[in-house]
Amino acid sequence: MDQFRTKFFEEAFDLILDLERSLLLLEEDSDNSSHIEQVFRAMHTIKGNSAMFGFTHIDRFTHDLETIYDQVRGGDLKITSKLLTTTLEAVDHLKRLLNEGDDVSNETLEVSALITDKINAFTAEDACDIELQKGLYTISNDVSAYKSGMVSTFFIHFKPDANIFKSGTNPLFLVDEICHLGRSITYPEMGNLPELQQLEVDTCYLAWNILLSTSQDINALYDVFIFVEGSCELEIVQIAEADLMADDGFVRYVTRMYNDRKSFDLAGLQQFGRALCHPEVGAEGIKSGRSKSGSRDQGIASIRVSTDKIDVLMNLVSELVTIQARLSLFAEQSLLPELENISENMDKISRKLRDTAFSICLIPLDSVLTRFHRLVRDISTELGKEVEFITEGTDTELDKTMIENLVDPILHILRNSLDHGIESPSERQSRGKSEQGTIRLKAFYSGVHVHIQISDDGGGIDPERVREKAVQAGIVGEDEQLNRQELLNLIFLPGFSTAASVTDLSGRGVGMDVVKRKINEVRGEVEIDSVLGKGTTVTIKLPLTLSIIDGLLVMIDDTLFVVPLSVVDTIFAVSHSDLKSYNQLVVLDGKQIPYVYLRDLFSDNANPEDREQVVVVSYSDSSVALVVDRVVGEYQAVLKPLGKAFKNMDIVSGATILGDGTIALVLDTGRIIRQAVEK
Amino acid sequence: MGKSILVVDDSESIREVVSFTLENAGHRVMKAVDGQDALNFLDGAEVDLIITDLHMPNMDGIALIKEVRCSVHYKFTPILFLTTESQNEKKLQAKEAGATGWIVKPFVPEKLLAAISKVVR
Repeated sequence: MDQFRTKFFEEAFDLILDLERSLLLLEEDSDNSSHIEQVFRAMHTIKGNSAMFGFTHIDRFTHDLETIYDQVRGGDLKITSKLLTTTLEAVDHLKRLLNEGDDVSNETLEVSALITDKINAFTAEDACDIELQKGLYTISNDVSAYKSGMVSTFFIHFKPDANIFKSGTNPLFLVDEICHLGRSITYPEMGNLPELQQLEVDTCYLAWNILLSTSQDINALYDVFIFVEGSCELEIVQIAEADLMADDGFVRYVTRMYNDRKSFDLAGLQQFGRALCHPEVGAEGIKSGRSKSGSRDQGIASIRVSTDKIDVLMNLVSELVTIQARLSLFAEQSLLPELENISENMDKISRKLRDTAFSICLIPLDSVLTRFHRLVRDISTELGKEVEFITEGTDTELDKTMIENLVDPILHILRNSLDHGIESPSERQSRGKSEQGTIRLKAFYSGVHVHIQISDDGGGIDPERVREKAVQAGIVGEDEQLNRQELLNLIFLPGFSTAASVTDLSGRGVGMDVVKRKINEVRGEVEIDSVLGKGTTVTIKLPLTLSIIDGLLVMIDDTLFVVPLSVVDTIFAVSHSDLKSYNQLVVLDGKQIPYVYLRDLFSDNANPEDREQVVVVSYSDSSVALVVDRVVGEYQAVLKPLGKAFKNMDIVSGATILGDGTIALVLDTGRIIRQAVEK
Repeated sequence: MGKSILVVDDSESIREVVSFTLENAGHRVMKAVDGQDALNFLDGAEVDLIITDLHMPNMDGIALIKEVRCSVHYKFTPILFLTTESQNEKKLQAKEAGATGWIVKPFVPEKLLAAISKVVR
C-alpha cells in the first residue's frame, strides 16, 4: 500500500494546485460552469482517494466542501467572494492535512472542525448527510457483524426485467451466488419462454424461485441483488428460523407444490415452517401442511388392478410407440423445427410411459413361490424323503405373462428333482450324504436375461443310462457318438423318460419336452447340467421384456432388421476384405472376434458392399460380431408375432412396423449365433 | 480464470491500486485515463469487464457507458462504475445508461473482487 500512498500525495498536491487555480479563475468569472466543474471534480477526487488510502479525516473534511460545490454546480448556491475565501482557506488547510499525513495533531483537527463549521454555514443539510455517510461506512466495512450461527430458511423470487442483459448483467451469476450462501433448491420459471422462432436472444424470459437455508441475514441476501435493484422483481421472505432444507418432508412438500401448480403459496410455506420449528404450537399446521404430502406417502402403497386393464394399457402403449415412430419420421422430413421439437418431447414421454407401463407388468417371483413350497412339502412327505427347499433372489421381477407361463414348467422340474433326483434318506446315508436333501431355486439377472436355476443335490443323471434309453426308444442310433452335454439334452426330446418305474408324479415321458416347449413359447431357453452322484441343475433363461424393445435398426441388402439394443456392445466399420472367411474371425480393436455374416442368412445377393458395418453383440460370456451392410440408427420396436407361417423361423423373434409403414424383422441374436456355431 | 479488465479513472493512484488488486487476483488489466481514452482503447479490443469512474474530464463515466452500449462489440459487456457517490440518483442515472453495477469508494480489495465476481465468471 505504501507505494500507492506516495503516489496519492503527489496526485493530491497536483489536484490542490488545479483547485486553487480554478478557484482564482472563478473569482473573475463566477458563472463559468467549466471552472465550477473542475473545482468539484478535484475535490471529489481528493475526497475519494483519501478515503481509499485511509485518511478519513481528510475525506470527511473534503466531503463538506464537495457538498457545497455540488450545490453550486446544480445551481442551488451562488458563488460569492465570501464562499471563495472560505474555500481557499479550506484548501490551505487541506495542504496542511496532507503534509501532516498520518500523524495529524489535535490542533490541526480543531482547525478542521472550525473550518467545517464555517463551510457548514453555507449549507443546511450536511449534518444529517455526515451521519448518513458514517453509517454507510460501517455497513460497507463490517459485513461479518451480520453473520450469526442461526440458520434461517428464505424464499426468494427473482424475476429479472426482460432487458436485463442490456446492462451487461448475467442473472445466472446472481442465482449462483445466492445458492452458494447455503443449502438451496432452485425452481426456474420458464413459462414465458416463447417458441424458438420468436425467441429474442437479448431478452430474458426466465425467473427463479429459490428456497435457501443460510446463516446469512436477510440484508446479505438483498446485497446479492444490489446491482439489479430496480431492474427486477425481487421478493425475499423469511419462511422460518430453522434449516427447513434439512427436512425431507419439506423438500417433498415444496417440490410437489411446484409441480402441481407451478407457483408457490407463501403462506403455506410459512405455516409448514412454523409447524416444523414449533411442533407444540403448530401441530395443526403439520396436519394440514403434511396431509397434502404425507397421505400419499404413507397411505395406500398399492392398488389392485385387473390384468385386463393392464393388457389394454400395454396394447395402447404399443400403439402409441408405433404412431410415435411415424410422427418422428414425419417431423424429420417436414423440416419444421417446431414440429421436430414436439416430436422429440413426445418421444421422450412415450419412452417413459413405456418403461412405467412395463414396470407395472413386472411382478416378483415371490408371488408364485407358495405353490412351489407347497409342492415340495406335499411330495416329499408322500415319498418319505426329507427335503429342504431353499429360495434365493425371489424378488427378481418378471413380466406377469411370463411368470404365468413359468409356473407349470417349474413345478414339473421340481417334481422331477423330488422324484428322480433326491434319493431316499437311507440311500443318501449309504452314499455319505446328509439324510436331508436340498433343492435350491435361485433367480437372478444376467445381462438381458433373467435366469432361474433349480438345482438338487440328488443322484444326478447317468449319461450312459440316457444313451441306453435313447437307443431303446429309437431316438439315436447305437453307434452314434454323443458327448455328455448332447446326451443330457436328449432328455428334452419327446417320448423320453429314464425313470425305472412310472410313478403318478412324473416319468410319463411327457415331462421335459413339455417344459422345453413351454419355455420356448415365452422366448426362453432351458439348459440342463448334471453330475452323477452329486446332483442336477436346470437353468431357465428368460428375456426381460416381451412386447417392446429398444432396437438397433440395421440394413442388409435393402431390407431393414432390428437387433435388440440391449445385447449390442459396439459398432465398427470394416472393409469387406478384413473379414477372414476361412476361420470366420474378424480383428476388431486388436481382438479376434468370431463373426456371423448376416447377408448369407437373409440375402441372395452375393455382391456385398466394400465397406460393411459390424455390430458386436454379447453372447453368453463372450462377444460375437454380426456383419451387416450398415447401421441405420436406434429404434423403439413394438414386437408383433409373425404368425404360423414363420413358426419354425426361430432366428427371428418377431416383426415390427417402422414409421413409414415398412416392416422390419427383429432378430434373435442368441439363436442366430447358436445356429451358426452348430453349423 | 483471469479476465481482461479495462480500468478507467482519471486519478492515477486509483488506477494503480485497482489494477494492483485485480492483477493480484489473476486478472489482466488495461488502463485508460478518461472516457475518450477508454473508447479509443476499446475499439475492437477483447474486454471482459469495464470498471469506470464517474467524474472524469473529457468524457465522464455515464457518457462512456452510453457510448459503449451502442457498440455491437460491447453491448453486453459488464460495466461497473467506481464511485464515491452514495446517492441513488447517480446510481439510477448510471443504471439507465446501461451500467451493470457499482463499487463504492473507498473499497477494500475483497469488496472489489466480490463485486466483480457478481458480473463476470
